[in-house]
Amino acid sequence: MPEQAQRRAPQGQPEENPPDNNHAYEELRHLIVAPEQEEIADIQERLEDRARRAEDVSSVVAEAISMRCEKKDGERALAKALSPTIQETLRESVRKDPHVLADALFPMMGPAIRKSITETLRAMLESFNAALEHSLSAQGIKWRIEAFRTGKSFGEIVLMHSLLYRVEQVFLIHRQTGLVLSHVVATSVSTQDPSMVAGMLSAIQQFVRDSFDSKNEETLGSLNVGELEVWIEDGPDAVIAAVIRGHAPPDYRLAMEEALEEIQQRYSSALENFKGDAAPFQSADELLSRLLATQHREPVGERKPRAALATIAIVVILVLGWIGYSSYLLWEWSRFLNAVRGQPGIVVISYDKQGGRYHIRGFKDPLAPDPNALLSHAGLNPNNAEFDLAPYYSLDDAIVVQRARQLLHPPEGVTLSEHQGELDVEGTASPRWIAGVADRAILIPGVATVDVSHLQDSHLLQLKAPQSAIESVFLLFPVGRAELEPGQENTFDQTQKQIRDIVAQAEHLGEQTSIELIGHTDSTGIEGTNQLLSQQRAEQVRARLLRGGVPPANLRPRGVGTTQPLRTEDTEEGRRLNRSVTFKVTFTPTSAVN
Amino acid sequence: MLQKKICMLGSFSVGKTSLVRRFVESIFSDAYQTSIGVKIDKKVVRAGNEDVTLVLWDIHGEDVYQKIRMSYLRGMSGYLLAVDGTRRQTLDDAMALNERVIQEAGKVPAVLVLNKSDLTEKWEIDSTRESELTTAGWNILRTSAKTGASVEEVFSKLTAAMLAE
Repeated sequence: MPEQAQRRAPQGQPEENPPDNNHAYEELRHLIVAPEQEEIADIQERLEDRARRAEDVSSVVAEAISMRCEKKDGERALAKALSPTIQETLRESVRKDPHVLADALFPMMGPAIRKSITETLRAMLESFNAALEHSLSAQGIKWRIEAFRTGKSFGEIVLMHSLLYRVEQVFLIHRQTGLVLSHVVATSVSTQDPSMVAGMLSAIQQFVRDSFDSKNEETLGSLNVGELEVWIEDGPDAVIAAVIRGHAPPDYRLAMEEALEEIQQRYSSALENFKGDAAPFQSADELLSRLLATQHREPVGERKPRAALATIAIVVILVLGWIGYSSYLLWEWSRFLNAVRGQPGIVVISYDKQGGRYHIRGFKDPLAPDPNALLSHAGLNPNNAEFDLAPYYSLDDAIVVQRARQLLHPPEGVTLSEHQGELDVEGTASPRWIAGVADRAILIPGVATVDVSHLQDSHLLQLKAPQSAIESVFLLFPVGRAELEPGQENTFDQTQKQIRDIVAQAEHLGEQTSIELIGHTDSTGIEGTNQLLSQQRAEQVRARLLRGGVPPANLRPRGVGTTQPLRTEDTEEGRRLNRSVTFKVTFTPTSAVN
Repeated sequence: MLQKKICMLGSFSVGKTSLVRRFVESIFSDAYQTSIGVKIDKKVVRAGNEDVTLVLWDIHGEDVYQKIRMSYLRGMSGYLLAVDGTRRQTLDDAMALNERVIQEAGKVPAVLVLNKSDLTEKWEIDSTRESELTTAGWNILRTSAKTGASVEEVFSKLTAAMLAE
């Protein structure tokens, strides 16, 4: 109900006071307000007529926007108000024909996108390069192993891993017709007819565009043909296609984009009006060549020969080292075997090497040195050798001498030497040792004869001096008498003492002393008397010596008369010396006596 | 040197490829035609004082299984429309195709090639029909892939027409 009341109220009001017959008033009002009313009607009409209103607004819309923008926050409000419309407009434009906007934005979007991509890639590539550089030596070996494993060439593997590439050809193609505008080729690259290749590339592009992605007009970015890649950069009027051997880095795409943009800009009218004459595009060769030249890199193969050389050198060193070491061991062994062969008392019959061990067979005298000790002495490992040596008696001189020494126990001062079975015994020894040596030595294996002629009795040597002293004494007698000459007492006493001493000394050494007392006469008188007299003289001295304490067993008196004159009797002195008793001392070993 | 993109069109097995085979330079195998529907050849034609390079897009013959990709026609300066003179149907098909070509690529110089002219006893296109077409503005040439008759002329005629544009 209240709703109806409200609605009726405005309708009812004019009905409540109708202008009844008040024509004059109406006329008056017309006179007064008619012009304004017409004006109002006109304004009303203008407001209602959309065409006129649009016309009015159109004349001030630019100023209105400008004014609005000048106001505080006006710009933002305007943008806010307009943005949905503009967005919708763009969307609609793209839906209708994407080319219009794409072409308009192309010069501006390229650099923006490129910049953003460049930044991302740079960071990525830097870390990649660093990693590559730091691990190059180890990497090289790894790649070699990979090449060996996969059966590919090392070059291919390097190419695969280090992104090396070579741009062999660059085509500039008119997009609409597929005709080639310019074509540059790297040196020493053989090519097919560029016009046909360009045509075919365009055909393939069209085919892909038609077949897979016709909506967005996106085209094929690259083709792979074995080791070759064809990178295609598509512009509104022109296409750049680069034929690349290997794998180009992502930033090569940027170089292509830049070149294409420059060409699009520089040749925009020539591209649009292209009727088959490629002459205006000749100057683009330089731009395309830069794409060839700047992106062409020599393979980083420097380390390859060096690494190969190093590997070969290591192998050679190892082989040489091994050969050297083996030769050294062989040399050591042959040296050792020669030494063993030359060793007296050892005979090597055969040797061979089995499983790294030497097996040596032969004979060995018990007196020969231990071959294992020889091995250690030579610096070789005794565990690497096995000796199988039967015992035998060696006739080597050195071994025979050693054997003789072992059996004869020669005292100090005696040397043994042997040559071809003859044992020479030299030096000074006790008469007891000397007595048995010849008999014992002849029994030693390897000894055939014994020479002891150069052996000296050590006892006799000691007794020599007192013996000589005693034997040089003359006890003198007067002519025809058996009593000592006056003045001979001292000589006698001295001699007696010497005799007592030598007997005692010899006894201590195990020698029995025998002293001959030899009586002499001069040639005067008759022979029979002289003989007797000389005997008496010797007996006289013996009796005195016995009285002096010399044991009788040691004394043997005898007279020789004139048969053994001591001097010629030309002078009185000579005759005097012949009237005497002299001594001859000999020794006999006690054992021999017993 | 002037270059022109031209297309060769016609029904399946009217002898397009064999017609030009002996007269063009070729580096691609026929397999391309069956796979992507076109094969590119090249023909250099002397026109007046200059050589013109014709890049020939030999487009796979249309049949019930495969329609011509109209995008291949983009940018062409002229075309050859091939017909098998011994099969009248191929002429009708060619005319229908021609309508679609003009719709897609606009009006450009063209030569109508009546192939297999050596098979005169089987010829199905009468002279009345031929003169009608001439009146309609067609450049018509009778050719034979077998004898090679008039093939060079096809290219020079089309070139002349294109240069006159």
